[in-house]
Amino acid sequence: MAKVLITGMGTISPLGADLPTSFAQALAGHCAIGAATPDIAKWLPNVLLAQAAADPASKLDGKHASLDRASQFALVAANEALAEANILAAPADSRRFGIYVGIGLGGAHTLDGLYSRFQSAVQSEGKRNPVVVHPLTVPRMMSNAPAAAISMGYGLHGPSHTYSVACASSAVAIGEAFRAIRDGYLDAAVVVGCEAMLTPGAMMAWNALRVMAKPHAADPSRSCRPFSQDRSGFVLGEGGAAIVLESEARAAARGQSALAELCGYGCSSDAAHLTAPSSAEQINAMQQALDDAGLRAEDIQYLNAHGTATDAGDVTETKSIRGVFGAAAGQLAVSSTKSMHGHLIGASGILEFALSVMAMNSGSLPPTATLEQADPRCDLDFIPLTARHDCDVRAIMSNSFAFGGSNVSLVARRLPA
Amino acid sequence: MLEQIIKNYLVNTKGKDPALFEDPTLQVSALDLDSLDMVEMLFEIEDRCGFQLPDPTRYPQMTFRDMLADIEAAIREHNNGELPELSLEENK
Repeated sequence: MAKVLITGMGTISPLGADLPTSFAQALAGHCAIGAATPDIAKWLPNVLLAQAAADPASKLDGKHASLDRASQFALVAANEALAEANILAAPADSRRFGIYVGIGLGGAHTLDGLYSRFQSAVQSEGKRNPVVVHPLTVPRMMSNAPAAAISMGYGLHGPSHTYSVACASSAVAIGEAFRAIRDGYLDAAVVVGCEAMLTPGAMMAWNALRVMAKPHAADPSRSCRPFSQDRSGFVLGEGGAAIVLESEARAAARGQSALAELCGYGCSSDAAHLTAPSSAEQINAMQQALDDAGLRAEDIQYLNAHGTATDAGDVTETKSIRGVFGAAAGQLAVSSTKSMHGHLIGASGILEFALSVMAMNSGSLPPTATLEQADPRCDLDFIPLTARHDCDVRAIMSNSFAFGGSNVSLVARRLPA
Repeated sequence: MLEQIIKNYLVNTKGKDPALFEDPTLQVSALDLDSLDMVEMLFEIEDRCGFQLPDPTRYPQMTFRDMLADIEAAIREHNNGELPELSLEENK
């Protein structure tokens, strides 16, 4: 079985338009959460959003201007990751190079625009024809549009798979690409997570689910409060993140240095409830990831929690971490970076994994930036309020637990200096 | 204006050389547009006129000028023989 290395990473997130900036902002405890855009606030005045730090179109060639915003996020993140890995378009082994994408709701902006245009034409008293819509509406909004854009942009002929597993989408994409390389089906893959659904229609649907955070009285930017007694739910974000995975042999053959080793993947299904989490299957996913990596619980020093700031989610995840780590939970540092970048749904798993790898390599751990009043039921070291520096982190775990009951855990370890 | 709207799409979105359009015998097929490009190009007009142009597969057999004349005829047919003023701006 091949060792799988991470040779590039990138993001465009609410915290920054690239990964170094996003990580620096996370270490600074910056909360990138704010008021909704006027088209959403008009209907939902109290809803909060974590908008990306930059318009993705501004970082792309004009020919990508008409892509759905989610595809634009995917391309921007992939560009950064592939550039760091020193991979140019049309590699000689392009048939051994895959594209693995995770996205929750494909084409949300395109779909919302379609309905909005239809409604406006219906109300135009015959001035506009409601049925005349852009002919590329379908290829823009299909869930695999981001994978197609990357495959075509970089001339990659390996499989281009898209996983839609709600909040675990891009964590599944990482895990499946990891297995494909480890088991010899591929030599390299670019893995991307993207999400762009901060639209009126999508936000009304999320609002109806009653899981959105209420504005914090003192500072609305600090409204997402995982593991805190005064939590009130999560804040939807948008953006994209990417990593490049390569077999150790491929990276060595071209003299490419690596950032870390991806070494463990576990996944499970609750088979119980649409939205309520299950500790037993979260434990199953985390234990699988540890076993896959050949590591013991005490070998992990930092865990990026799913940590959505819902009561059921926070308490269940705390119980699950204790279940897997046992006595080692006392030495484990855990944080939820969603307190700062919000919940990027399909992009959250990979963004949090990338931030975790940055934390491992730098020895600086991002905080749960809004944890002012710890919930006594959540009794782990959640790195409250401020980052922790000079930590010796040899391995990390990143959890992603999705609506629908899909659980994913990923493990990466530091490479020898 | 009709001609300018289509040229703008071909030059700005598809990267065609503006000099191509100086040739009065330019064939639509010489523009190397696939079927998706063709329907996207026609949408630039459909969006502004509010109806769908019939059968775009006819156009690759025409000259660029004949295609423009054909599109203009279709627009007039929908507007009692008139050619409404078309805006360069997209009708989003």
